[in-house]
Amino acid sequence: MKISGSYTLPVARERAYQLLQDPDILAQCMPGTDHLAKIGPDEYEMKMKMVISAVQGLFGGKIRVADQKPPEQFRLLVEGSGKVGFVKGEGVLTLVPSDASTSDSSTEVRYEGDVQVGGVIAGVGQRLLDTTAKLVIRKFFEKLTELADEASVPAVV
Amino acid sequence: MIPQNFEYSQPNNLNEALALLAGGNAKVLAGGMSLIPLMKLRLAAPEHLVDLSRVTDLKSIREEAGAIKIGAMTTHWEIESSPLLRSKCPLLAEAASNIGDVQVRNMGTIGGSIAHADPAADYPASLLALEAQVRISSAKRERTLGIADFLVEALATALEPGEIVREIIVPVEASGTGVSYQKMVQPASGFAIVGTAARVRKSGGKVSFVHVGITGLAGKAFRAAGVEKLLAGTAGSAADVQKAAAVAADGVDANTDLHASAAYRRQMAKVYTARALTQALARAS
Repeated sequence: MKISGSYTLPVARERAYQLLQDPDILAQCMPGTDHLAKIGPDEYEMKMKMVISAVQGLFGGKIRVADQKPPEQFRLLVEGSGKVGFVKGEGVLTLVPSDASTSDSSTEVRYEGDVQVGGVIAGVGQRLLDTTAKLVIRKFFEKLTELADEASVPAVV
Repeated sequence: MIPQNFEYSQPNNLNEALALLAGGNAKVLAGGMSLIPLMKLRLAAPEHLVDLSRVTDLKSIREEAGAIKIGAMTTHWEIESSPLLRSKCPLLAEAASNIGDVQVRNMGTIGGSIAHADPAADYPASLLALEAQVRISSAKRERTLGIADFLVEALATALEPGEIVREIIVPVEASGTGVSYQKMVQPASGFAIVGTAARVRKSGGKVSFVHVGITGLAGKAFRAAGVEKLLAGTAGSAADVQKAAAVAADGVDANTDLHASAAYRRQMAKVYTARALTQALARAS
């Protein structure tokens, strides 16, 4: 399944890049994450509990960041599995500064990737995978925007 | 596969049911057409099921003060075949007749369907076009929400723990209104690839009222405001319908799956919206 889109964060590009690489921030933004730990350089281990309607699945997995070109681009590799199925994917995130003429700096995060989902969840939920993926991505960025707002206050001081 | 063990309660009335649900851990079992398969696949493993099949106060269709109130446990078949709905709110009866197959329609309920909030379910398109209200109860309080506020996103509603859908309220259709629900069905699941519900009225040769709801296309069903705006005030000719239906998918982040790509879905949304409008206009007098 191909996934692509973009989301605009209300922070400057350097700050956006920094936020997207911060494990604590990421753990708070990914829906259902209850554990995220660094296990190597640019590599993290995580546990997630996804609850979508009546369906709930526990996933354990790894996230790796590669090909970093701060502050404009990095590659994200994700793999996870649980009783209900597995998820494996990778994508490239590109950070583009929005129109410089406005006084508030903001950054457009463009993402493009390919995700494979297998197991029971894929067989049964095929019809809903795309919708669900979009939902999870939107929630991630909404939460990140919220945290970026909070985090930006002390940064100014 | 056999579901995981769970506790099972079968309350005899609404108050008993609400008391059982007040803890927040129990899951409501209505017709079971979505929940039971998920449990058998062990994708869902609720600890406690509260089966509403004996709560007969939730099984009724009645007319009251210009509106029709449909109990949450009313089955799709009961809605499809209700003489009251067929004459006074035919759009909902037509939508119900398009759901799944006859077994699903005999077991599945309107309350269960909207509480599950599948983005390709048939009801939401019609309920949005009808500006339906959803009456919700818990042990502590009662509230009524418009269907647009009730459906939050794919598989998510405004229902809070302990709350159940009590009834769905739809208006008695004004005379002269033409309605239609046109659906492109995905044959294996019976769900809509896209489905459009339309309600129109004409007066003095012009379209004086038009409500359009679309399901299956996006993460949740929506009112097609662009289509309504373009059609309102026109003569409702074939060209007017085509022009209005052409914007059915504008600005929509369309779903993709094995059965239909986003581009195909967008195209079909236009086609089925045009069909629904054409038929509704033909039925309007």
